[in-house]
Amino acid sequence: MPFNSYPYFVFLAVAVLGFRLLEKGAPIGRRVFLLLASYAFYAWWRADFLLLLCGSTLVNYGIGREIERRRARQQDRRALLIAGLAFNLGLIAIFKYDTLLVGTANDLLGVGLPVPHFFLPLAISFFTFEQISYLVDADAGKAHNYSLLDYALFVAYFPHLIAGPIVRHDDLIPQFRSARAAKDDDLATGLTLFTIGLAKKSLIADNLAPFADAIFNAAGRGTHLGPTDSWLGTLFFAFQIYFDFSAYSDMALGSSVMLGIRLPVNFHSPYKSASIIEFWRRWHISLSAFLRDYLYVKLGGNRRGRGRRYLNLFITMLLGGLWHGANWTFMLWGGLHGLYLAINHAFRRATKGRTAPAALRMPLHVASVALTFSATTLAWIVFRSPDLSSARNVIGGLFGGGHSAIVSFSPLAAATLLLLSFIVWLMPNSMELMWRYRPALPSPYAGQSVTPARRLSWQPTRLNAAVYGLICIVAVLALSNLKPFIYFQF
Amino acid sequence: MEKTRYAVWFLGTVALAIAVLAAFNALAGAYILNHPAGGSVQTLSGFERALKPIWLEQIQPRLVLVGSSRVRDGFDPALIDPALETRSFNYGVSSMTPYEARRLVQDALAHSSVQQVVVALDAFTGNGGPGEALPSFDETRLAVTPAGDPTPRRPLWLFTTRYLSGGAVGMNALGAWSLAQLKAGQNAADRPDIFTAYSHMTQAVMQKDLSYRSRRTMRIGDGAARELSTMLAAACHARARMALFFPPDNMAIIARYRQSDNAGFDAFKRIARGAVARHNAHCSNKVALFDFMAPNALTRETLRNGSSPDYVDLVHFRPPAGLWLLQQMGIAAN
Repeated sequence: MPFNSYPYFVFLAVAVLGFRLLEKGAPIGRRVFLLLASYAFYAWWRADFLLLLCGSTLVNYGIGREIERRRARQQDRRALLIAGLAFNLGLIAIFKYDTLLVGTANDLLGVGLPVPHFFLPLAISFFTFEQISYLVDADAGKAHNYSLLDYALFVAYFPHLIAGPIVRHDDLIPQFRSARAAKDDDLATGLTLFTIGLAKKSLIADNLAPFADAIFNAAGRGTHLGPTDSWLGTLFFAFQIYFDFSAYSDMALGSSVMLGIRLPVNFHSPYKSASIIEFWRRWHISLSAFLRDYLYVKLGGNRRGRGRRYLNLFITMLLGGLWHGANWTFMLWGGLHGLYLAINHAFRRATKGRTAPAALRMPLHVASVALTFSATTLAWIVFRSPDLSSARNVIGGLFGGGHSAIVSFSPLAAATLLLLSFIVWLMPNSMELMWRYRPALPSPYAGQSVTPARRLSWQPTRLNAAVYGLICIVAVLALSNLKPFIYFQF
Repeated sequence: MEKTRYAVWFLGTVALAIAVLAAFNALAGAYILNHPAGGSVQTLSGFERALKPIWLEQIQPRLVLVGSSRVRDGFDPALIDPALETRSFNYGVSSMTPYEARRLVQDALAHSSVQQVVVALDAFTGNGGPGEALPSFDETRLAVTPAGDPTPRRPLWLFTTRYLSGGAVGMNALGAWSLAQLKAGQNAADRPDIFTAYSHMTQAVMQKDLSYRSRRTMRIGDGAARELSTMLAAACHARARMALFFPPDNMAIIARYRQSDNAGFDAFKRIARGAVARHNAHCSNKVALFDFMAPNALTRETLRNGSSPDYVDLVHFRPPAGLWLLQQMGIAAN
């Protein structure tokens, strides 16, 4: 059930109402209600895959609890942990990477294996990663005798189920257990945050998509793109994915806030970043924190010398790219970011202790933001392209490779880009607007706290209620064209 | 302000706006459908992608005309229905992509009332491929999926589109306003300033068009050819008959197509004819093909007293010419 659909609006209203009615007298009842609601939310898409979600939950819970027990008895639990990881990675390999793995084996070895085509279960990448983190934490003694109800709700909790944020058990389960009733603030805050996200999705991202799609599809068909098409297609997609993912994150957080539960902040104006390191502390924060804690650190992190550190970064980002989908383009995208990060760390090391003169700080900051945006946008080309030759085609077009004229650089296109740039670089983001009511758990990265918006800071006034209500209606009217979130496919 | 009151004000604003918009859409929709000249609204350029699937469902026509703005401008049900004693529906939308054309034909064929579908082939030109559509095109409103299966939860999408979509608000507002401008006894042809499909090409329009479309070509890409074949395959076992036609662009602009890409123009016709021939060779439900994109009484027309009797511009023919085309194709009373 996409967040940007009428059925979800009705579902959310029922879920919030039911949860609030149950919250005072029946703390277990409200968790059961929320779990059933979450399963209904998932089953709306395909009821048969609910069995997969439940089965995966039961297996991981069983293994996790056994790991906890063995840890308490100081018994060996390595085999169990490996079995748990193998189960999760096997599941994701079967459903998500089957075609890529078999196809690549056929290409490289010429073995001629039949290529399977399993249907990709919605959200498998997200709920699998969340359960891997639980198993690893159980092994490290960080999980605390959760009940099956709490654990199942942690996995299936509908605001984060489909496309994140990738939550940790200790972020959510204590909140489920808390007897705290959702405050009145929460409904107002959640409604407003949800509205901001809906507006970003239906009024901005969905209107950029057809143009970006037309250009990347043409590149996929082998049309040699001209510079106007390549530049506009690239920029439109860079803004489309920005607003699409930002919208999703706001709507997920907003839905959860209405229930009185905070999810981790997942998106924090990433294009304002002055370096790639900072970009990954602002873009898909929950994924980058997961990769850092459960992959980069496990690979040795920065503890085994500089060269190994850069290699670890590269491997981590390569696999992070592959997490997005079974396509070499995603892996290349991840590899590019791994390379960027390694260069960024090397540069930091080389310039450590040096400070720019005061007069140069602002221009240098602007140049750094522009460079970071250029690097990430270049990588988005690879991310969006259906295959590597299409990506080459688009990149070639940036430098005047072809002569296509799918779109023209009209005054409307110029005004659109200017307006989007204004919103992205000069406006406060939703977390900054709503800072008084703390709509999200804080960032796991130091130095990434929310800066309160000086102007436009949201307050629950009657005027704001009417203004955001009208924004909500305008966004709802634009929903006639249903488009799923980009991250739903991962 | 108390936070609960914020939620009440917010939800109250949303509920009030929804009630107003839904009521407007219901009233305006009923007004358009029941107006004697209501069919002429289908020739208007606006938010047709949003509302036309709903109208198709409501009108349950016997004859459906599918195509780009040439079709949208050129076929007025208010003119066609009494002349051919049928119930027609104009499923033309501006800048129709090949994929949209195939999908709208699939939609029309899925309606049991539809006995004949007429498709203008210019929609199958260009490089558009599978899935490519303009922003307001939405598959969920169509009766069948691309694979031909019934669209899941379609009544829900039709309901929300009809009452709660911006496209419906825009198209209903435009249609109701346009009809309200007609005085008693007037029809769309009497107000070409509003129903521009009835306006006449002038020398100035012709010159502007020749300049604007100076590099225009008429070629069919691989993706468009595939969509054409897919559309024909959908018609193979359909109950309704299908007729395709090359639209009657004026000879002045056909000369430009030939000048810009003669081989592409010939290939377009050859590929379309080949697809139809292949279809007819193995399907019992034969498809008729008519070529009006050639010298004929319509396309050779010149301006009379500085005004064209049959064209709005060099590619858009007027509804009386559209009726003549249907008669030439033998689309008669059912």
